[in-house]
Amino acid sequence: MPELLEVHDISVSYADLQTLWDISLEIKKGELVVLVGPNGAGKTTLLRSIAGLDRPSTGSILFDGEPIHTIPAHRIVERGIILVPEGRRLFKSMTVLENLEIGAYNQRARPEKNTTLQGIFEMFPILAERQQQTAGMLSGGQQQMLAVGRALMGLPRLLLLDEPSLGLAPLVVESIFATLQKINSAGVSVMVVEQNVHVVLELANRAYIMEQGRIVGQGTGVELLTDQNVREAYLGYLPETPQP
Amino acid sequence: MNNIALEQPPEAGVDESGHLKRWAVLAAVGLGIVAALVPHITQRQDIINRLFLIFLYITLGQSWNILAGFAGQINLGHAAFFGIGALVTRTLWLNGMAFPFAFVLGGLTSMGFALLIGIPTFRLRGAYFAIGTLALAEVLRITVSNTNPLISTLPMDSITTYDLSARYYLALGLACATMLSTYLLLRSRLSLGIMALREDEDAAQATGVRTVQHKLLALAISSFFAGLAGATFAFYQVSYYPQAPFQPEWTFDALLVSFIGGLGTLIGPLLGAVFFITVREQLSLVVQAHEVVFGVLFIVIVLALPGGLVNIWARLTKLFAALRKRNKAIHIQAP
Amino acid sequence: MTLNTILQTLIFGVFVGSIYGIVAVGLGLVFGVMGILNVAHGDLLMVGGYVGFWLVTLTGIDPFLSLIIVGPLMFLMGIALNRLLYRRIIRFEGETKLKNSLLISFGLVLILQQVATLLWTGDERTIQTANAGKSLMLGGLVFPYTRLANLGIGLLIIVLLHLFLHRTYFGKALRATAEDWEAAILAGIDIQRVYMVAFSLGTALAGIAGTLVAVNYGLGPTIGLSWTLKALIVVVLAGTGSVTGAFPAGILLGVIEAISALAIDPAYREVVGLVLFMLILLLRPQGLFGKAERGLA
Repeated sequence: MPELLEVHDISVSYADLQTLWDISLEIKKGELVVLVGPNGAGKTTLLRSIAGLDRPSTGSILFDGEPIHTIPAHRIVERGIILVPEGRRLFKSMTVLENLEIGAYNQRARPEKNTTLQGIFEMFPILAERQQQTAGMLSGGQQQMLAVGRALMGLPRLLLLDEPSLGLAPLVVESIFATLQKINSAGVSVMVVEQNVHVVLELANRAYIMEQGRIVGQGTGVELLTDQNVREAYLGYLPETPQP
Repeated sequence: MNNIALEQPPEAGVDESGHLKRWAVLAAVGLGIVAALVPHITQRQDIINRLFLIFLYITLGQSWNILAGFAGQINLGHAAFFGIGALVTRTLWLNGMAFPFAFVLGGLTSMGFALLIGIPTFRLRGAYFAIGTLALAEVLRITVSNTNPLISTLPMDSITTYDLSARYYLALGLACATMLSTYLLLRSRLSLGIMALREDEDAAQATGVRTVQHKLLALAISSFFAGLAGATFAFYQVSYYPQAPFQPEWTFDALLVSFIGGLGTLIGPLLGAVFFITVREQLSLVVQAHEVVFGVLFIVIVLALPGGLVNIWARLTKLFAALRKRNKAIHIQAP
Repeated sequence: MTLNTILQTLIFGVFVGSIYGIVAVGLGLVFGVMGILNVAHGDLLMVGGYVGFWLVTLTGIDPFLSLIIVGPLMFLMGIALNRLLYRRIIRFEGETKLKNSLLISFGLVLILQQVATLLWTGDERTIQTANAGKSLMLGGLVFPYTRLANLGIGLLIIVLLHLFLHRTYFGKALRATAEDWEAAILAGIDIQRVYMVAFSLGTALAGIAGTLVAVNYGLGPTIGLSWTLKALIVVVLAGTGSVTGAFPAGILLGVIEAISALAIDPAYREVVGLVLFMLILLLRPQGLFGKAERGLA
């Protein structure tokens, strides 16, 4: 019985420079999985490969048991994997409403567009208020909400997020993660890449650690939170520091 | 990053430090001597004319190649520089100036106009330079056809004393000068800056290469030689319409010669000119649409065969080397 | 120089400017969405003009009605050209893609010019219309019907295009792709299809403009490059992100050219456009309506 997402030994290169080496991981249905690691570890490349923006040169990626590493990226969106990219990549010249609407472009989500829109407005009332404003005029936190909202409009079964808390105030970060939990509880599987490791490990079912293009560790959220090496490397604890 | 048309193919006859290999130097000198002797060996006008065209097109192509192949700037109005050289030289010469002065002034005026376009456009990204040069060529073509609509013909005594070999040697000398200048440019430290531009403008800017200045230098050299080529044309052609040297076909031929031979290489335009002139003569006997053929060939090269003839040479050498290695391996394996 | 002469000149400037606008909108659309510069755009105009010419000559259809056929036919030609040529370079990064598009288009210019000369000779053609000599007279000024049609059709095209880009789902997908093609993919948009439509639309617009040119000004196999140039100047004038802004910018160019023809020797008419181009680059490179960021307006 295949898991929701299975990545088997993929390697990815950017212009003759290899960035990912034999990466394997899986995401079970309903999980919230976290990907941590230092800058340059290849986390973004991994998410982009799953989303279909970068092709692996070896290995395979299976979604619901079906290979997706060879089909066009917009088809992958249709199958149910949607990426909220680093830096959000909103359509700044278009309105909030237009950004949300375009999120439902794929064939699966299009018939439900209006219903889904109502749901998004309930989840993010501020977006409803500002729906006629151009996306470029929103604050950082609001833009992140819009980016997540746009992705949700596509009715994802697996939501990928690349550094959603980047550049946001702590209070906003909290609300983002609260939202992620809500989405996950509603049945959407989630994979998050995050620097803000503290907060996110508490929510995670499982986590993977990446360094220099490889997966160097994995475990449940709790396991990693309490693991000494992880605490030193990523949570800023010195070896002698007592537990908080 | 797939940089199809603008990839750097390996250079034939040049070693790693950029010095010409010994055989290449001998070949160049040998060819030069043979070329210089031709008018003494034969009286046949058609051969001398054909060689003249080849030399002219070597200069035309190499001048475009300097800017595009080495500095990565696409000039779609190269005919402007060719035409300005022709116009200025012809006008000055037919109005009494000694030809050598008119010749040089043609080249310099071309360079002046080039910098006029280059200075405002090179500090901007994108296609502004290409648009600017295209605009210059078209505007000049139309304006010249408005202001000088009548055919320009040499005065009678110039026609009766017309010396083809003088034109021949001028074109040969110019082609040699262009090739030599390109070679020296390649070898100088400036070339590092210019070629860094070709690879990646953003990176070049980040590492502190004086981007705009290098582009302007390449442009100055390119336009100077193109202007001199136009001046040579004005010296050679008994009669022509003043707008003719401004026509886009001259730009296209410069591109074609560079691409066929191998963009960004030293001998590419030389090979390209020989190929182009020879094939064009043959083709026009058979088919009226030779321009279409070349147009299609050009697009095919841009899309599918980066590196042109030089690259084919390099690929063949690699192929032979690979075959030789395989043979050696087979011999070793056999008991 | 009477006021009447000046106004009349202005009016003719507006009329030719509306064709500049149509051509520029097509070119700007392709550039904005695909990031490629099709230097052969003017030659597509030329081909469209010949298509219109032969349609009218062979079937006797009214030239302005023929646009209904010319448009779709040229749209199909756009699909073919895109599939054959531009699709192969579309996956490159910005500058590389742009430069390759310049090269390929330039080759196409030469090919189209030669083929047109071979097929239809170098003779100038014009499309005759029933309304050829007739004009609207208003306050001592002449408004020829054929020229008014330029303006009317141009305005209609702009309105339709604006509605398409802003009121239809696919049009919004086009705008999204123009702004950020990767983000567009992530929203589930098939950008290859977007590119195809954008390019074909641009080609169709060029073709329509070509038929108008054939009616009003005359057609020949070598007119392509000078029309491309006009379109380029207008696109730069308007700002590369502004598609609908290219139409008023086209009219502006037409008016400026017309006015300067009163002041300077008409032989130097073309220089005006070049000078204007240079001025814009020096003073306001983002154009009159352009913004600093990407996007289609």
